[in-house]
Amino acid sequence: MSKYMTFPEAAFKDRDLLIAALEEIGCSYIRQGADLEMGRYYSEQLEQKVPIVIPRGVIGNDYGDIGFELTESGEYRPVMDELDRSRALNGRFIPKLRAAYNERVIAKVAARLRGTIDRSVEGGVVKIKVRY
Amino acid sequence: MPEINFTIDAQTGEMEMKVEGVQGPQCADVAKIVTELTGTPQQEENTKEYYARPNVRPQIQNKQL
Repeated sequence: MSKYMTFPEAAFKDRDLLIAALEEIGCSYIRQGADLEMGRYYSEQLEQKVPIVIPRGVIGNDYGDIGFELTESGEYRPVMDELDRSRALNGRFIPKLRAAYNERVIAKVAARLRGTIDRSVEGGVVKIKVRY
Repeated sequence: MPEINFTIDAQTGEMEMKVEGVQGPQCADVAKIVTELTGTPQQEENTKEYYARPNVRPQIQNKQL
């Protein structure tokens, strides 16, 4: 069954960093606005209005658009068809987006502290040291 | 020199951070900068350094009479 769901385990506070992270993981087309309607391609997909939309098909999301809703606490949370969760970026859409977003967070923190960054990858873990 | 050690799990995208070389609640200032961008952490723990007293040297000024 195809329906839009919110995935609360992923939350993104900074809109600019979120857009940059989306671009990095391959979202070549991103719609931005206030109350953008997510497409309804199946009858079970209820109406959703969100400020950020990745249109259907851009990143392997064959069942519907991927949206980001803005919560009362000021966080953007992904809304996507439950079937796309295992299809978009071969099911790696949310983990890859979180990793790309978090790397941008670290770069911004380092810039604010006027620090230096030392990055390495060990066994599937990205290690970043910020000295300031 | 203070440093922040971040780790990002490539499988989940989850991030952990540890502030080192900063004694006392000053490390909370660093944590605040991060949480402004990430939101409230799932788990937070203060290290021994947080409870340590920072070395503060008394500053003595000569009074000119």
